[in-house]
Amino acid sequence: MTAKPAVDARNIRASEYIRLNVARLLEVIALLLIIAFIMFPIFWLALTSIKPLEKAYSTDVIFTPTLKNYEIIFSDTTVIENEGTDRERGSVGRKMIPNVINSVVVSGATVLIAIPLATIAAYAFSRYNFFGNRALLIWILTTQFLPAIVVAIPFFALFRTVEVFGAPLLGSRLGLIIVNMSMVLPYAIWMIKGFVDALPDEIEEAAYVDGANDFQVLFFVSLPLVRPGILVASVFAFIMSWNEFLFALIIGREMRTMQVALMTTSGVRGVMWEQMAAAGMVVMAPIFFLALFIRKNVVDGLTMGAVK
Amino acid sequence: MRKKRWVPWVLVAPALVVVFATTIYPLLAAFYYSFHKYDLRKAPQFAIQFASQAGDPLISIDWSLLSLRNYTLAFSDSRFINSLNVTFWFTIISVGLSVVIGLFIAVIVQKPGRLQTLTKILLIFPFAVSPALKGYSWRYMLNDQYGIYDLLAVELLIKPVNLIIELLNHLPLIDITPINETVVWLADRFWALFMLAMSETWGWAPLIALMFVGALGSIDAQIFEAARIDGANRLQIFFRVTLPLLRPVILIVTMLKAIFSLKMFDQVVTMTGGGPVRATQTINYYIHQVGFVRNLDIGYASALAYILVVILTVFSALYVAKVLNRE
Repeated sequence: MTAKPAVDARNIRASEYIRLNVARLLEVIALLLIIAFIMFPIFWLALTSIKPLEKAYSTDVIFTPTLKNYEIIFSDTTVIENEGTDRERGSVGRKMIPNVINSVVVSGATVLIAIPLATIAAYAFSRYNFFGNRALLIWILTTQFLPAIVVAIPFFALFRTVEVFGAPLLGSRLGLIIVNMSMVLPYAIWMIKGFVDALPDEIEEAAYVDGANDFQVLFFVSLPLVRPGILVASVFAFIMSWNEFLFALIIGREMRTMQVALMTTSGVRGVMWEQMAAAGMVVMAPIFFLALFIRKNVVDGLTMGAVK
Repeated sequence: MRKKRWVPWVLVAPALVVVFATTIYPLLAAFYYSFHKYDLRKAPQFAIQFASQAGDPLISIDWSLLSLRNYTLAFSDSRFINSLNVTFWFTIISVGLSVVIGLFIAVIVQKPGRLQTLTKILLIFPFAVSPALKGYSWRYMLNDQYGIYDLLAVELLIKPVNLIIELLNHLPLIDITPINETVVWLADRFWALFMLAMSETWGWAPLIALMFVGALGSIDAQIFEAARIDGANRLQIFFRVTLPLLRPVILIVTMLKAIFSLKMFDQVVTMTGGGPVRATQTINYYIHQVGFVRNLDIGYASALAYILVVILTVFSALYVAKVLNRE
């Protein structure tokens, strides 16, 4: 009589043990599938970028790695070698260094202009109660959902006729920087405001009591404290303008940023995938590291604090 | 009062000037253009040209006279109607896939464990890939001759399914047509749109998972514990506890993703080029075609862009209301 329940208990434990292990195994499989889903396209792009030409048009994974694709996309020689055959195969130098410079200058300048403006504005929105404060904030939030095309059309029309330093704004870095502001500046204001809001205002109060004026409090008390937040917002702003495509296509035009330059990797055999992959790695690599840096802020950044 | 009243205005003024110049100006200008005939092929410099040909039903006397022509044209333009349709389905598919897969990832990675932590870190990487590049890399991987995803899909999905179909066909009364093994993904109307949504899902599902992970982390663990003690199994816990608790977040995420999907542009250019036969021409893509590629018709493009603005405003208003409620 006493033995029977003991056997039952052991059986339950054994089946429970198997059940738990099967569950764990399924979980590991699911995790590996998720990792494959996330990382595979990136892995494959990286792999293709170091494939020799004849392997790029296959799914082979065994090949001798080469940096020739990177060499080609940056080269300014029209044809690298074997004029006849290589031209046909598309080994035409892509001269992408100016494109990289365009991307760096446009994104860099966008950040350098937007962030200081956004910072002082965000501070005012957070710390002062002035007429229109809330209405303006709602407008700033709403602009984030404007389709870029509705901004691009009038600026395209305008920039065709406006000249700066003897060159039309259409197809210039300055033109693209201006249009980028429509997207980056409201975003940066909203984001930095979030960081200022999170800052306790006791220290500022103390500074006011000690006789500091508004600007002294802003520049010597608050700004140093909110610096990490400003850095995060800057990284976000940089990624946004670096990855921006529609404005770069319509307003940037012949002044190609790297995103648009990706489209120039085509030739007689359509898109030259090994070159596209190499250019793609150049586009992606800096953002990879920046993305790791803002990992913890991405959710707040994208949802503007709607998901907490 | 130690804070001076004029100070905030000084601080917000520079930013506001730039924000207004880059958002209000284009909105007003596009609105104005949308009621005028403004075709770059005919007007090298900005000049409002009104239809003055005989027989034109529109009254066109004065430059200040407005015309609804662009808007009436829009709703009889089958290509525009097509783009509305494409955008609608793209939004449904991409939002659905992104949210469901994002939720699945979140539930899996949210538990403690080393592999889970690693996966959580990796979730950020698709965000680093620009949409334009996303489109190109998926187009490459889906190529029917040398695409790796094409190979995997055929070998791991289509062939096994066809094997089962073949076996079933040996049974009496069953006659199922096997799936075409030589499918060219981006040349098929349905698959092209689906794969476009899939490339978007690849970028968004991990981000949505991160959003859900944050939300799941803020749910009291005791609730799950209580459900487990009461004898609920995993599926029951997910559908009866996790899902209802996540509902507000799911709603917000769905709205946000829908807003982004409605504005779909980049990958259409780099992945499908709107094809096959306009099957993936989203609204944004069609506006770009009208305004800058095919017609250079700024007036018509502006009108179409305004229709998109109106559609987006509905979603945006809901979203902004949610965000401000959280404040």
